[in-house]
Amino acid sequence: MSLPEVDVCIIGSGAGGAPMALELGRAGFKVVVLEKGPHYQPKDFIHDEILNSRRNFFMPVPWEEPHLVRQGAKGRYEKTSAAWTANCVGGGTVHMSGFFYRLKPVDFRLRSTLGAVPGSTVADWPISYEELAPFYDKAEAELGVSGESVPHPFAEPRSGPYPLPPLDVHPVAKEIDKACGAMGWHSLPTARGILSKPYRGRAPCSYCALCGSYGCETGAKSGTNASLIPAAVATGNVDLRPGCMARTVEVDKQGRARSVVYIDADGVTREQPAKVIVVSCTAVESARLLLNSTSSRFPRGLANGNGLVGRNLTFSSFGESHATFRLSKQSAARPWLKDPSPFVNRSLQDFYLMPDAQFGFRKGGTLGFMWAHPNPIHAAVGLAGKGEKALFGKALKDKMREYRDSRILQFEVYAEFLPTAGTYVSVEDGVKDRYGIPVAAITVDRHPMDLAATRFLVERGEEVLLRLDPDDVRRGTTSGETSILQHGTCRFGDDAATSVLDRDCRAHEVPNLYVVDGSFMPTGGSVPSTLTISANSFRVADHLVRKLKG
Amino acid sequence: MTRAHSNRGRLSRRSLIQRLTFLGGGVVLLGPACKRSSESQEKTPPADTGPLAAKQDGQAPRTFSSFEYAVVAAATERILPRDEDPGALDANVPVYIDRILQTPELEPVREDFLSGVAALERRAQRMHQKGFAALTAEQQDELLTLFKDSPPRSGEAHFFELLTVMTLEGFLGDPSYGGNQGKVGWRLMGFDTVGTVASAPPEGYDGPKCLRECGVHR
Repeated sequence: MSLPEVDVCIIGSGAGGAPMALELGRAGFKVVVLEKGPHYQPKDFIHDEILNSRRNFFMPVPWEEPHLVRQGAKGRYEKTSAAWTANCVGGGTVHMSGFFYRLKPVDFRLRSTLGAVPGSTVADWPISYEELAPFYDKAEAELGVSGESVPHPFAEPRSGPYPLPPLDVHPVAKEIDKACGAMGWHSLPTARGILSKPYRGRAPCSYCALCGSYGCETGAKSGTNASLIPAAVATGNVDLRPGCMARTVEVDKQGRARSVVYIDADGVTREQPAKVIVVSCTAVESARLLLNSTSSRFPRGLANGNGLVGRNLTFSSFGESHATFRLSKQSAARPWLKDPSPFVNRSLQDFYLMPDAQFGFRKGGTLGFMWAHPNPIHAAVGLAGKGEKALFGKALKDKMREYRDSRILQFEVYAEFLPTAGTYVSVEDGVKDRYGIPVAAITVDRHPMDLAATRFLVERGEEVLLRLDPDDVRRGTTSGETSILQHGTCRFGDDAATSVLDRDCRAHEVPNLYVVDGSFMPTGGSVPSTLTISANSFRVADHLVRKLKG
Repeated sequence: MTRAHSNRGRLSRRSLIQRLTFLGGGVVLLGPACKRSSESQEKTPPADTGPLAAKQDGQAPRTFSSFEYAVVAAATERILPRDEDPGALDANVPVYIDRILQTPELEPVREDFLSGVAALERRAQRMHQKGFAALTAEQQDELLTLFKDSPPRSGEAHFFELLTVMTLEGFLGDPSYGGNQGKVGWRLMGFDTVGTVASAPPEGYDGPKCLRECGVHR
């Protein structure tokens, strides 16, 4: 059943979709936002680990809506829930931790900086940091970001301070500052998409310690569900439709995008025509939607004449280590260990770009320090271990009692994930989700340089941890990837032969189709990309509003 | 109890784990997300001995037969036995597992769990000519260790992991699911003493003020 035409139909309500909805609504255009998941309210966000982290509250279970993942084209696919972000109004910004870093100028010209990298399809962005910077300012103001900028060798230029002062931090932050200072490194406050003070009618943080993996019941976390989406709906021009799963984007005879076919909350298939269609479902799911939108004009998928939709997928390279402080041994001498403040909010970016390749890489990344997440089931499952080494019985309970006596400080590494020809999204016609739609299939082939960089960063982080005199430092991994941070599958560029989108994130081949999630990014940078996706979406919205007003 | 597993490749497992770590708190949907292949599912009829045995608080179990319930109770108590601190039965872990497996989306997990319980019972009968619940603690541990040390992709190893994970969920989850009775699990892990509000704070709650004045969230 076809519905009346609107000006703009946006698919997705997360970091990319929401800024478009807000700006277009403010400009007076009639907008429909299709969101696959439900519209949770603050009262739905309860501190229940089983609900939030171990069931399908945020992400679908792999036997209903799998992603297929394999290592290399010869690997065998595994059905997983990897590379999903939250399926609900606000998308991944609802259950994010809210580490709101900006990219740095070097991230926009990585190919020029590194030169050709054998085995990588690394490319420069068609725009510069300076072109995006005003929209970083705007995204930080609209979403609400708490932070403090301090000078350091890789500080990105800013026009002014953060909209909100930094959150209160745990005394360990000072210890980290000292440890880094002793090594000549620069410990930086981590900007957070969390309100430190009341802001635009929203309540500040309650310091409950459950940010990542949870929705925020006070609305202090700056997910689009708490900030941009309510503002967009308040314009009166934005029709938000939760529970609506887009199946295809249809085209007319001229090859222009005509409508979105979707399955609504009641399971009814509907067609929403629009003058402009904006896709923002995550880099993996947007590629899937375009690849599934075949027509006689686009037999290989919408806007995919050059075969690049789904190619050049990047995640973020991941590493971590944990330092354990035993309270019974240490808290007399260091009473601050017992301080319950949840935030550490310290980062290290001294190794963002190395002057030469003596360690096997030049593009490094960021270390973020934090207390280990307090989820007890997660912690206990980790203590129990797996396989033959798994513990049970008294041995497991002893570990759990030890945990009670511990404070665990950790760092996470966000390092460059270089694009390769072997890392991409395709669709598998033979495997369908519960809607009967072919699922996204992800093939991963990591570049060895990323692994060298990630290991190097983990080693530097461990030097910091060891200087704090913990009872134990345990390495997690040096070779992981954060698949919730995803980019590149519709990279933007000025050459229609080597990119899917133009510099305004409009498809080269389809003049009224835009993609505004992480898909546009030829490189992901070496920080979490949420703020960048929102900033870019504000930039594209600025362009689109001017264009539509003609 | 062999069954064809989807290939859980080393690297793809890793990527799943890492994504979750970034979010913090380890979003893991029920341990291994296993694809079941239909030909490998042995349809073991529940070895019900009739309306005898174990009922919890006068309530009949919902997922398990009374007989299966007794096996689950015995097995979870070996995963987390009572010692100087409460164990799985003190926390009502079997009630949690029995109830949570009624969740419609968890059907594949329910089937895995039930065939695992049946396999454990079969092995007990074969080795000791007795039901699992009737064995000594040492014999039960020996059997569970056999399952634990089975080849990584075997049904036995999978069941051991599922049993451990669900026992920990029942021990450490929100009490509203039927487990973690009296919050004994949270007390053992110190979950309510590390600055965390285990339940959502009330309206108008001033977190920073509370931290300053009480040192812990109340």
